[in-house]
Amino acid sequence: MTDAALQPSRRLPVRRITLHRLFGAEPVLAGTGVVIGLSLVVTAGAMALDTRAFQGETIWSKPIKFQVALAIYTLTLAFFARWLPRGMTARRDYRLFAGIVVVAVLAETAWIGGAAMAGTASHFNVGTPFKDALYATMGAFAVLLTTASLVYGIAIGRNTACGLDPAMRLAIALGLVLTFVLTIPVAGYMASAPGHLVGTPELGARVPILGWSREVGDLRVAHFLATHALHALPAAGLIAVATTRGRTASGLVWVAAVAFTAATAFAFLQALAGRPLFPLP
Amino acid sequence: MDADQLFAVSGPVAMTGWAVLAASPLAPRAAQIAAGIAIPAILSLAYTVLILVAWSEADGGFDSLANVMTLFDTPMVALAGWVHYLAFDLFVGAWVVRRARRDGVAHILVLPCLLLTFLFGPAGLLLFLAIGAARSLLAPRPIEA
Repeated sequence: MTDAALQPSRRLPVRRITLHRLFGAEPVLAGTGVVIGLSLVVTAGAMALDTRAFQGETIWSKPIKFQVALAIYTLTLAFFARWLPRGMTARRDYRLFAGIVVVAVLAETAWIGGAAMAGTASHFNVGTPFKDALYATMGAFAVLLTTASLVYGIAIGRNTACGLDPAMRLAIALGLVLTFVLTIPVAGYMASAPGHLVGTPELGARVPILGWSREVGDLRVAHFLATHALHALPAAGLIAVATTRGRTASGLVWVAAVAFTAATAFAFLQALAGRPLFPLP
Repeated sequence: MDADQLFAVSGPVAMTGWAVLAASPLAPRAAQIAAGIAIPAILSLAYTVLILVAWSEADGGFDSLANVMTLFDTPMVALAGWVHYLAFDLFVGAWVVRRARRDGVAHILVLPCLLLTFLFGPAGLLLFLAIGAARSLLAPRPIEA
């Protein structure tokens, strides 16, 4: 008797998740993002077990924030990679560049996680020749990994054959370029300052999850906004192409870009003046 | 030979295996025979002999953490425990190399897994499994396990 229905199925009936459709255009950056995302399980476990604190927060909160940020960053680039000029990701020079970016991302993750493991500071930890050199190297890596958004922004901005609505293409390109253009001065200034706070908090009141001070200036607010330009402007682009069309949509995107830049500058100046963006009532 | 002398020998033996794994793309089959079978077998043999010799003189047991720690107060048992690490870590390293070769994982991704397995055993295995999970999640079609 050969009843096919009685044969055990060789295939699982469950359709397995594949992120290929979302991020498959750039497997190297996507793989980096997924591995960093998975490594959150490890740091979350460490946070649950570790009682050590640093500047009033669990010592693992900073590595976790960076893991989340870098996973989102690499996955966002991998998502946008589909609109790069055809064949660009296969080119040798591109692959070398992507490899260097991945090394920079992983080095940054390992450095911040390693500092937490050792119970010491990562950023602003200077004083000996080795510490100075390490901090400077990690600064260079941070700049390097941010250049990926600039390269993507320019390449997508020029790619008229990408099939996107021109206003949407403009929004993505502007967002990517602004991530670089705004992050470099804001983060660069913060890195050369004595710390991320301007002023001395007394109560330790913070914005939940993000951890920004509610008492004194916090330069990390502007860094956050600057770095998320690559999300904010495409979101504005979606609204623009959904509500208007043609030149009006592109005009709206430009307005959004100017407004977002102004908001970032405001957050930066506010922090420099020692004022919190979300003051205590 | 006393425990210290045996300890001094065990390190280079295991290191040879790790060097072979790092260079394994040059001669994959020979690397598997050396680092996946021969050296783990030598280390496992050493472990078994050490346990036969030293087990009866050791205090402690497996029933509590304090007792496990007491076991390792006996140098020959502590050495056996160390050789156990060396043998099994290398065996896992060879498995990682084999599996990576089968699945087409680039050797440059395997090297950090090997380094981590060499230093912190399970952490390296975990990294390799994470890379495998990422590849599977990003594959155009589900990969057969």
